[in-house]
This record gives sequence, C-alpha cells and structure tokens, in this order.
Amino acid sequence: MREVYAVGIGITTFTRLEYPLSEIAAYPAMMALRDAGLKDVDHLYVANMGAGRVNHQTGLASAVVDTLSLSPAGADAIENGPASGASAIKQGFMAVASGMHDVVLVTGAERMREVNNLEATEFVATLTHPLAEYIYGVTLPSLAGMFTRLYMEKYEVTARHLAMVAVKNQNNALLNEYAHIQQEITLEGILDSPESMTNNPYVADPLRFFDCCPVSDGGACVILASEEVATRLGKPLIRLAGVGQATDTHAVQEREDPTDLLAVRRAAARSFGMAGLEPANVDVAELHDAFTILEIAESEEVGFFPKGEGHLALERGETSLTGKLPINPSGGLKGRGHPVGATGVAQAYEIVLQLRGEAGQRQVPEARIGFTCNFGGFGNNVVCLTFIREN
Amino acid sequence: MAVDLEKILRPVDRPLPPFPAKYMTIASGEEMVIRQVSRDEIPAILPFVAPLMYVERDFYDIVAARVFAELMSYYKHRVQDEYVLIAQIDGEIAAIVNGRMVTEDVGMSLHTLALRRGLRIGAHAFAAKMEYHMDILGQKEVLVVAESPIGFRRWMIEYKLEKRFDIPHELGGVPSWALTKELFERARDTLVVGRRPVPAELLEKAQTAISPPSDPPQPPDDLLAATRALYDPTGTALMLQRWKQEGKEQA
Amino acid sequence: MARDIYAYKCQRCGHLHYPYRMVCKACKENEHNEFDPVPLPKTGKLVTFTRLYNLPGDFEVPELVLGIVELENGIRITGQLRIDAPKNGMTVRGEVEVVRTEGYDHHYGMVFFAS
Repeated sequence: MREVYAVGIGITTFTRLEYPLSEIAAYPAMMALRDAGLKDVDHLYVANMGAGRVNHQTGLASAVVDTLSLSPAGADAIENGPASGASAIKQGFMAVASGMHDVVLVTGAERMREVNNLEATEFVATLTHPLAEYIYGVTLPSLAGMFTRLYMEKYEVTARHLAMVAVKNQNNALLNEYAHIQQEITLEGILDSPESMTNNPYVADPLRFFDCCPVSDGGACVILASEEVATRLGKPLIRLAGVGQATDTHAVQEREDPTDLLAVRRAAARSFGMAGLEPANVDVAELHDAFTILEIAESEEVGFFPKGEGHLALERGETSLTGKLPINPSGGLKGRGHPVGATGVAQAYEIVLQLRGEAGQRQVPEARIGFTCNFGGFGNNVVCLTFIREN
Repeated sequence: MAVDLEKILRPVDRPLPPFPAKYMTIASGEEMVIRQVSRDEIPAILPFVAPLMYVERDFYDIVAARVFAELMSYYKHRVQDEYVLIAQIDGEIAAIVNGRMVTEDVGMSLHTLALRRGLRIGAHAFAAKMEYHMDILGQKEVLVVAESPIGFRRWMIEYKLEKRFDIPHELGGVPSWALTKELFERARDTLVVGRRPVPAELLEKAQTAISPPSDPPQPPDDLLAATRALYDPTGTALMLQRWKQEGKEQA
Repeated sequence: MARDIYAYKCQRCGHLHYPYRMVCKACKENEHNEFDPVPLPKTGKLVTFTRLYNLPGDFEVPELVLGIVELENGIRITGQLRIDAPKNGMTVRGEVEVVRTEGYDHHYGMVFFAS
C-alpha cells in the first residue's frame, strides 16, 4: 500500500444553514481545493446520512460532483450513520493507498435543521434495531442514558464528571470560529446552583440537556493524495497513517458487557496497529462526544487511560486544552456541533489543522500525532483514524 | 370631550398584586433577574421587539409582531388586566413574558419571547409567569397555546398540560391547553425555581435601565432566505437582490 | 390471549438468538430460516434503565421509562417499564402489549412490571 497524505482541508460554520444540502457539501470542498492549490481530483466521496430522508435528495454524490464542476470524476456517497465521515475518509484512503487514484476529495455534509426537532430526533432513531429497539420508542439519547446509568454504577462516574466534559468542550468551542455553540457555561450554572434543574433538565436520565450535543447543519472536507502529489503541493506532510474499523451487535442489549464499547476498542487497536503507534504516542485527539459520557468511555476504550479511570484523568485536567492529552480542542460534537455526516470529516479537519500548527488560539503545542474516533449508531460501527506529521 | 371619550375607550383594570422580583443563576454562571415592568417602561422595550418581526426562524416573526401589539396596547390602555414581566442579565434584556387575567380564576398566558437563546431563559420566564398566575394572583387555571414547535415541546409536553380544546384562546382563536393548579403543584419543584429577595445591588442594576440585548436573533440579509433556499437553490434571486443593493446593472 | 416474543433457535447447533439473525452467530452453518421460534420467558432482572423525556412525535405521553432486562434464560431484551421506582438488579415480569402506534400500525413489545 502507498502512503496517503492530507493535502487540503475546508469547513463551513456549523450552525443552522439555509443552503441546500449539495451546497453545504460543496462549499468546504471548494475551500479545500483552494487550500491545496488543486483544480481537479480523480474521485469524490460524499459522507452523509439523511439526504434521502430529511432533504429529499438522493444520489447526493452525483449532485455534488457536478456543482463543483469536477465531472467526469467518479463520485460515491457513503452512509454509515454518524460514522459516515470517517468511513468516507477510509474509502478515500483505500483508493489512494491501492494506487487506483492519486488525489481524492472527501466531503461530509448534513442539513438536519431543514426539518423540526421532533423529526430530527426521529431520523436519528432510525439507526436503532427496528424490532428490538425502535418499536419501544428508543432514541439514541435513551441508549446513552441506559449506558450512562450502568457506567456510573460500575465506575463511580458522577453527574459532575459529565458536567465537566460539557463545560470543557463548550468553552473550547469559544476558541473555534466555526463551532455551533458559542456560549460559555459553568459548573455552577448547569450543576450546582439551585436553578440548575431548569437550566440543565434531564433528557434521558441520568443524561441532561448539556450532556447532549446540539442538532446542527454543516460540512467539512479533506483532500487525500499520494506522496508524490503531496510533496509537489508543498504543504506540511500530514500522513493518514492508520485506519481501523470494527462493528458490534446492532441491538445494544446484545453487547457482551453493556458497559464496554468493544467496537471502539478494536477499531482503535487496528488504527494504531496500522500506524505502528501506541495510544501513549498521541498528542491530540478528537473523540465522538455526542453524549458527554462517550468522551469518558472512549478515552478509556481507545487506550488513553485504563478502563474505568477516564473520569479521573478528566478530574486531573489531563484532557483539557492545556493538559497532557487535549481531547476535543475544537469543542467536540458538544461544542462544535454534530451534523451527522460531516462530523467524521470535521474531526479529521481539526486534527490536520492542529498538526499543521494552524489552530490559532486552540493550538495544542507541538502536536505531531493526532487521533480521531467516529462512533456510528450506538457503538455498533466505529472508525478510528491516526494522523502523523512527517516534516 | 376628549376626556370623556377616553373614559369609554379605556378599560378599567382590576388591581393586580405586583410580582415580587426574583433571581436565578443561569447555565452560563451569570445571574438573571425576573421582574415586573410598569406601563412607563414599555417604550424602552418596544425597540428591542420590533426587529424580531423580520426573523422568520422559529416563528420569531409572528411572536414578535403579537408581542409588539400587546405591549403597545398595554401602554396605551387598550387591553384589560395585562401584566408584563421581563428577564434581565446585568441590566440587559433577555426575555419578555406577558399574560392577562380573564376572570378571578382563569388566566390567559400570552407570549414568551426570548432575546438570548441556548440557556433555557425562556423556560425560567415562562415558569415565572405561571407562578404569577397561580401563587400571586391565586388563580385556578391558565390557558396556554404555542405558536412554535419549541414552545409546544417546552410547555404542552414538559408541563403535561391538559387539553381544553372547547375554549378558543385569545391568540388566534385556536384550541387552548390549560395549566391547572394541580399540574402546577406537581411541576413546582422542578420547573419553578429562583430565589427571593433579589440582592439589592442586582435589583438596582435591573431597575435603573433596560439595556439592549447583546446577541439577539438576527434577520438574514435576504428576508425570505429560508423560503427562497427551498425553491431556488441557484441563489439567483439573492444575487439579483445584492446587485440591486450595490447599484449594479443586470447583464 | 397472552402474546409472546420469540427468540430463534438454530436448528444445527441450538444457539438461541434474539433478535432474529439470518446467519447463526455461533455455528454460521444454518440454511435460510433453519430456526425454531422459541417463546421468550417473561421474568428476569433489570440491567439498566432510563427515563426519556424527548420522545418521537407519535407518542402521546410526556415521558417513557425504557430498560434492558436480562431474562431467566440469559437473553437480554429492551422494553418499556411500567415501574414507579426502578432499580438496577430488581426482579421484573413482562407482558406483551402495544408499545407504539404509528398511524394505523400497532407495534407489540414487552412491557415490564415490578415483580
């Protein structure tokens, strides 16, 4: 397999966008092409989950390739629930690594706010098992709520730890000009004050309002290329060194241990294995915190901290922007927003930005190895990426 | 003669007990004061409501248009037994809520307009309004409707309001929902929060002046951008409008 | 008429599956539909639960209590709980009732009560 490099990146603001979905996918692609200094690519991948259901647009990749004037390049849409973004990057990686293409463009986009909140929740709930979960009214927050209850019981994670993740990520997002939530919150406001139950009500107890990511529109893009093209373009050489994916049972009740996220563990191990690295080598990470508990659980499953001790590392400040291993410097899904199909690509955008040293106020000093974890469904399909800066 | 005519046109208000101001800590850690405003403070508030009539998102346009009318009619004595409460953060206006007393026992909730979003400020303000009807005015029931899906979720669902579909609500004559004393008591612990009395300094800041909202919902550049995007993905209409604004000629 | 929820027993190796799978998870050797439907027991222990306040639009109730129950035979099932004060580990017993109505479709599933 050849080496694969990230040569161009682009992103939209994550917020409520009044543009058609194909434009939300195309705008960051245009930015990425300009960033790389390219006018053409060999192939296009579009990551998206809701185009057909929410936005009435099927064949999204065909629409996007044409609006970007990149035809006759081939184009495919990739749907893997909330892991669509990293899955699409994985496809792009395979295309370049195999030698089939030299330059591919991977763009992720979602326009969830075209419909109201009830419909958006319903749309995400279609990820659940139709007979074992969906018919009961199970939504993703309820699966996360059940998981959190067990996690709190088994590992003594408390509501305070969850609130700390929310505060950390929302405050990181204040330094991120394209993040959805630009609002400072404090532990006093969401947890300690007598009015915190109104400020931060239960959504799926024990998960509360500020423990859940917002519903956002947005798009992000990463252009992957061979070593030859990357060297020619003259940008810092950021190599996509490791790609790992693993799946688990569809119905959450069938997981071996209901507090384990085995797919995360396996995908991360495969990603590190391919890159020839250990979790301890990572300088900065973007983990999938659709619910604050997931940042804690994933930080353990990918290998940064021993199982059941992620919340202790959080307490010690290790995962803050100025800590030993900053997690979600962009604000994560909680602060940056979660346009489902775009998230995986946005995580890669942030890591590439950090490794290039271009992250401004939220720059993690001397970051050379970055890691992302994109969590599909409720942990039944996970893709992890490892990036290394080479020069 | 003019004085007599005004006597006919102007309704006579029942004496309504005042709302005792309260304060709470919101999610951002800041402190918010909710207090009642008198008629002479209304002109200061109207300019903050007017621009929202052009924000299509989340039904701000219709709510702002109706609130403007309700505040104006309160100021000019053309509505009976209306009250207006506002929420302020460091003097800056964050929400406006209003309602009316229909009879001794029945209240009519009018509107909840949040000028700062994402911090559940509307939830606090709505709860204060219900507290006013139930605890201060001593009523038995408040009729409520929602113009926006967010309002529906927050009130009809969270408070578990009862259907009173045979009663038309003053806002458009649509079927009403009701908050009964029983439902209010059940919701009291979780939804009706806030502390009294307001510390003197905080109250003085709030009472001295009502400053403009720092980050209100904005109308988009193109007033119908949301609708246009659905029907005109090329953006041509937007572009033509921009050209017109710049004084360019059409090709 | 008491209804049941069925698990699927592989006719080759006897492994029990709930929910249905096309290929047996244990032996992977079954032919299409080579499963015997086996009614699930209705008693078990509550593994975890949540109270969900943000429900999909077709639900007329303001909140739902959902839980995962480990039934007597080791199979776990998700269900709605009609229990006032659920606790992890408590014994529960289930009935199959209508759990969701979408338009004219009635979906039947397990509802658990305190035992």
